[in-house]
Amino acid sequence: MKVNPDLDFIKYMKSAGGDTLKKCYQCATCSVVCPLSSDGKPFPRKEMIWAQWGLKDKLIADPDVMLCHQCGDCTAYCPRGAKPGDVLGAIRAYAYTHYGFPAGLAKLVSNSKNLPITIGLPALIVLIMWFISGGMHVPSAEALDQYGFGHFFGHWDWHWLAKNVAFIDIIMVPAAALAVYSAYRGVSTMWKAMMKQYNVSSDYRPSVVQFIQQFLVPSVKEILAHTRFKECGTNADRTTGHLPLLLSFVALLFVTAYSAFVQDVLGIFYPELHGPMSMMNPVKILANVAAIALILGVGILWSNRSASESEAGVTGTYYDWFLIYEIMAVGVTGLAAELGRLVGVPVLAYFFYYLHLVSVLMLFLYMPYTKFAHMVYRTFAMAFEKYRESDFVTKSAE
Amino acid sequence: MTEQSASAGAVLVVGGGISGLTAALEAAEVGNDVFLVEKNPYMGGRVAQLNQYFPKLCPPSCGLEINFKRVKANRKIRVYTLTEVKSVSGSAGSYEVTCETSPRYVNNNCTGCGACAEVCADERDDDFNFGMSKTKAVYRPHEMSFPMKYVLDKAACSADTLEKVKAACKYEAIDTDMKSESFTLQVGSIVWATGWNPYDPTNMDNLKYNESDAIITNMQMERLAAPNGPTGGQILRPGDNKEPESFGFVQCAGSRDENHLEYCSYICCMATMKQITYIRERYPEVPIYVFYIDLRTPGKYEKFREKLMSDENTHFIKGKVADIIPEDDGVTMVAENAVTGDKVHQKVDLCVLATGMEPAIKSQAAGLGIDVDSNGFVVSDPAKGMISAGCAKKAADVVTSAQSATAAALKAIQAAK
Repeated sequence: MKVNPDLDFIKYMKSAGGDTLKKCYQCATCSVVCPLSSDGKPFPRKEMIWAQWGLKDKLIADPDVMLCHQCGDCTAYCPRGAKPGDVLGAIRAYAYTHYGFPAGLAKLVSNSKNLPITIGLPALIVLIMWFISGGMHVPSAEALDQYGFGHFFGHWDWHWLAKNVAFIDIIMVPAAALAVYSAYRGVSTMWKAMMKQYNVSSDYRPSVVQFIQQFLVPSVKEILAHTRFKECGTNADRTTGHLPLLLSFVALLFVTAYSAFVQDVLGIFYPELHGPMSMMNPVKILANVAAIALILGVGILWSNRSASESEAGVTGTYYDWFLIYEIMAVGVTGLAAELGRLVGVPVLAYFFYYLHLVSVLMLFLYMPYTKFAHMVYRTFAMAFEKYRESDFVTKSAE
Repeated sequence: MTEQSASAGAVLVVGGGISGLTAALEAAEVGNDVFLVEKNPYMGGRVAQLNQYFPKLCPPSCGLEINFKRVKANRKIRVYTLTEVKSVSGSAGSYEVTCETSPRYVNNNCTGCGACAEVCADERDDDFNFGMSKTKAVYRPHEMSFPMKYVLDKAACSADTLEKVKAACKYEAIDTDMKSESFTLQVGSIVWATGWNPYDPTNMDNLKYNESDAIITNMQMERLAAPNGPTGGQILRPGDNKEPESFGFVQCAGSRDENHLEYCSYICCMATMKQITYIRERYPEVPIYVFYIDLRTPGKYEKFREKLMSDENTHFIKGKVADIIPEDDGVTMVAENAVTGDKVHQKVDLCVLATGMEPAIKSQAAGLGIDVDSNGFVVSDPAKGMISAGCAKKAADVVTSAQSATAAALKAIQAAK
């Protein structure tokens, strides 16, 4: 076997928190102590040697890299301090950048040196749009009380589409569309690479419906239940942070969809539906509970990560911390804007609302390139694992 | 406190195992006065506990007895058993060493007749056999223990037993009022031949040493195979005395591991291969599974390895055992075969942890002013008259230990002048 190591990849691994990988001497302790490693294809021992050899093509086409939940048992038991958990995290970070589209944006976001541009770009977009909209002034306390943030981007009389909604859509929809397209592109490239790596023939292909029913839905169910997280030995309490965080995302997605439907669709016919929801509205209660769950969840993850870095020797990386800071920013600015509105301080309310829009835009726009991408890549890696074991693959191999 | 004076150039050898005996004899036989201090009630150290040892797979009596004879015949060597070094002061050429001898409760009248043990009703755990058997509370540590005197474990005896034991000895050798004694030695240099302890297997929580009788250490295996061991040399599973129908070996159990012993203990691969020969003598066809990271056969043992690996019932699997699951009958060892990439669950009747060597002096080194490296091995400093030998210096086999002990004797003589 001829090995063509990719030196740039090895250099990248060193810079992204995987600098310990050269210490690995292949004893395979990690593959045994890993609670998620299966009998048929244990990991992460094989990933460690692939990484040492710079075989990046094998790594980015390896579902196990994505299935790793970084429990940390491997790192705790590793006799050499090679930190397989950190190495796999660095490989995932590399994979998201590799699969990211457009490549320039993916590279930009993955490097801590570009943090000013990473924040500056969305901040500028929102600022320019706010300026163009003509709504860029601090409202009176009465106006804030009456319209909430509904007139942030100003107001026009065309009642089919509120000006505020129009501007938010202009900012968020292209960002979200780009993110969805990029994630789709990345996942399908990864899927093809995994098919090739594992010699999966596609003689019998599932239909889209079959794919969703048999592979995607069970994976999503598993994710929601946190089945794998709960198997983690070291670091098992990460579920305490990740579960409320994930559920809050689901709840906020629902709240956003509900509010868009009620205000922007029903609101066309029943104008009284515009304006801030009552605090006693069940949906508003859900929104507030979710916001607090989000902040608490990410706060627990924050403190767990700090503790594992100071106690268990886990390497702190930009990749991990960026997402924690970003989600914290979304939660804190959202809640601060709401509080500013409730106590009637328009300057603060608008200031935090602006920051909230910026942080939400960052979350959407950078989803496929940051750690947030695990949401799609891990889900599809789980689906691939199920697909590989299904009749579609096993029968066609016969 | 008594003072032991000797001519200038006296050497203190701490530890009476194969290295200490060798260093003491080499120094004494060229004319230096030697004090040989041993913490156990017997000489011979770890070698005495082995069934056979390299290079020729001899029983320990083979090498130890001749050394004991040389020690007995040499008037230059003074031996202290049950004795530990408490403090060291001074400098090269003039060290003052305080030692303390614990009471044996048996004096020099003892002839080793054993009449005391016959009447003794109380028992104690036999640490020579790693707790796999019991001895009477008045005992000889093992059948060729030197000096040939009994030891009384007073704490394990009832008052009644003490009376009976005393009465049974017609030589008045039992002295239950014996006290600890301190004394100082004036020496020119010190050889630290303090040897090693088997690494504590309970530190590896994933290997579950305490959770199954079917998990033993390699040193326990030596005792099981030894004719003077708890089973008379039969290899039987502790607990139920079953004849094992399969064996597993866990290499690097604690060695080459930052969380335990970060160095290679040097002897465990060869010890396992040696123990495979013990098994084959008794059970010619049982399957044996050896899980390893790398096999190291230092010296001239490559042919030995080849011969053992050609046995079709002995399987060598590259992959460290990182989990052992206790079963009703034996244990299941879990590893990833790093060559095939498959996870292996191997059920065996008896599992041997090839635990490594931890320097015995490690925890006391600082208090005694001994210079040790980060792993606790004693660093020689001939200019200061502090020299290490054998496994106190580094993990080593008997041959290497004897060589380093001879070298240490030479340095010690030079430094003691």
